[in-house]
Amino acid sequence: MVTVGIPRALLYYQYYPMWKVFLEKLGAEVVVSLPTNKSILNSGVTRGVQDTCLPVKVFFGHVVSLADKCDFMFVPAVTSLGKKSYNCSKLIGLPNMARALIPECPPILDPEINYEKGRYNLYRNIYEVGRHFTCNPFKLKKAVEEAWASNLDYRNKMSDEGITHFQAIDCKPPPDVKSSSLTIAVIGHPYIIYDEYVSHRLISWLQKMEVKVVTPEMVSQEELDAATRRLVGVPHWSFEPEIIGAGEYYLETGVDGIIIVAAFGCGPDSMMLGMVQHRAKEFEIPLLPLSLDEHSSEGGLLTRLEAFLDMVRRRKRVCV
Amino acid sequence: MRIGFPHFGNVYIALKAVARRLESPGDVLITPPPMTQHTLDLGVKYSPAEACLPYKLTLGSLIEACELGADVLIQARGTGICRLGYYAKGQEQMLRDLNYAAHFLTVDISHHKFIGIMRLMRDVTHNRTWHEIISSFFFAIGKLSALDRIEKVVHKIRAVELEKGTASRIYRKAITSIDEATKSKEVKELTKEYIEKLNRVPKDITAEPLKVGIVGEIYVVIEPFANMDIEIELGKLGIEVERTLTISRWVKYSLFLNYLGLDEWRKVHKLAHAYLDHDIGGDGWESVGEKVLYARNGFDGIIHLAPFTCMPEIVAENIMPSTKEDIPVLAVTCDEQQSKQGMLTRLEAFTDLIGFRRRRGEHGRRV
Repeated sequence: MVTVGIPRALLYYQYYPMWKVFLEKLGAEVVVSLPTNKSILNSGVTRGVQDTCLPVKVFFGHVVSLADKCDFMFVPAVTSLGKKSYNCSKLIGLPNMARALIPECPPILDPEINYEKGRYNLYRNIYEVGRHFTCNPFKLKKAVEEAWASNLDYRNKMSDEGITHFQAIDCKPPPDVKSSSLTIAVIGHPYIIYDEYVSHRLISWLQKMEVKVVTPEMVSQEELDAATRRLVGVPHWSFEPEIIGAGEYYLETGVDGIIIVAAFGCGPDSMMLGMVQHRAKEFEIPLLPLSLDEHSSEGGLLTRLEAFLDMVRRRKRVCV
Repeated sequence: MRIGFPHFGNVYIALKAVARRLESPGDVLITPPPMTQHTLDLGVKYSPAEACLPYKLTLGSLIEACELGADVLIQARGTGICRLGYYAKGQEQMLRDLNYAAHFLTVDISHHKFIGIMRLMRDVTHNRTWHEIISSFFFAIGKLSALDRIEKVVHKIRAVELEKGTASRIYRKAITSIDEATKSKEVKELTKEYIEKLNRVPKDITAEPLKVGIVGEIYVVIEPFANMDIEIELGKLGIEVERTLTISRWVKYSLFLNYLGLDEWRKVHKLAHAYLDHDIGGDGWESVGEKVLYARNGFDGIIHLAPFTCMPEIVAENIMPSTKEDIPVLAVTCDEQQSKQGMLTRLEAFTDLIGFRRRRGEHGRRV
């Protein structure tokens, strides 16, 4: 049986269920790398140039750790997911960077997903991947349809039940939320906030501090898109709704505070953060921007979180 | 209407040329002062900390234009993949916060390019005739390509001139006199005159200067303030510089010839194909292809200029070392923290390295 490796990084969090169904229906065995740990991070950091952002370095680490465990590596180049909106260049050039920096990596399956190039291009790219496993186009079509259905299920599950990527992927029950007085929105790319090693278990720390955490994927895609349009008009980046849309949505619905988690040197975030910060000032809602890189420590993060929560709590007491 | 714009290489000369023909008492063009440390400081102060250098510099330049009383600002916009598409959104908000009553006119540089520019010119000049607008546009483009032609010669002369600085002096003179020219014919004559003047500069005939190609992000490659006059410094070290990115070339191809099916980058993209097979936004794809091109053309080295945290150039930087074509690459990251001395030291070391390589004739071996 052919084994296909999926690195547990970047777009894994958004699309793993879909990829898994697709590859398994085609008769492949899927291997996922272990959750990020120190050795994965270190092996990734030493590969790329130093200006590369942390999530991409982590991704390289996962590819290195999977290199001898599979026959193919699945790294799609997700260029564009909507009209006139694109992903970050690093995601678009991801398979090429992996090939250049990790020579020991097995052959990379890199379908280009580009909305702007139209339907035919998309079908052809998916077919090229499928050809490695089956010559039967009908089998491939069925696999694609089932994969897409599972993707929709996954998304609806998260927004309907208010659970995170983790819980949806592993089918874990949501933690019993104690009656908490504070609601904090944690906004950021899933590959940062749900990578426990990168984000230093930010969400579980917040839950331990008796805070109700809400995240971007707990809002339905339509509402995120609408909120983005209200604030900036046509989105420029494909993942703009999950930062700007979620920021605007939670600011409008009124949370007690917002924490924006970004990787140091993230190009799109550096621009979008400014927009949300500006908006938070207008709504007078406290906002904590956190910038993470490979040198940030859990202790420093906790101190800032505690100070922020104290501030939010005191503010709430005074207001009420 | 008082129209301001951010500085970008010699673009101000083109805009001034247009203004000279179309300006009326009500509509004037405000040229911001040349970029200085003050511009950069302003930009850094009012930009998000992790924004890229072109964003900060253009914001600083726009603030300076606003201080001179500009009430309409021109900025580029596009659906390219890099941050450029976001510049106008962020900068407009920041200027509003700073209480400048300026409103933005954006030039779309990825769709309807030529028609968009024409419409913009018609709007700001209050319906001048199309003939006036188009002829002034071509007059401006003529000036830009004249300057780029002269600059190409300057790059060659700088490396071999006996008295360092002569070519740069002549180039500066050429900029002023072309800026003052009022007719296309005059521009053509001036170009010829200055190129002849440059060719008459006393040169070291025996010298075989090292050749270096400059690749990277278009703003920091073209704007001398952003790259700390790297071309002049290389000339002082006796290095001949070549770069393909120029404004006139961009205008010529992406406004006109691309629609006729001519792609200036086709060759470069083809060369990059083995390492990067699709566009990643900005100038990343071109950087990789140009590395291969320069290596095959027997250049001694490449200088890769990129703003700090530039996404496309980081991808290019990651891919470049793995290419089969072997050529030394010096990656220079431009941001507000850079110092000229630090860069000079790196340039000197790089010059030594490529000099050794050439003397030992080891073009094929990995260094």
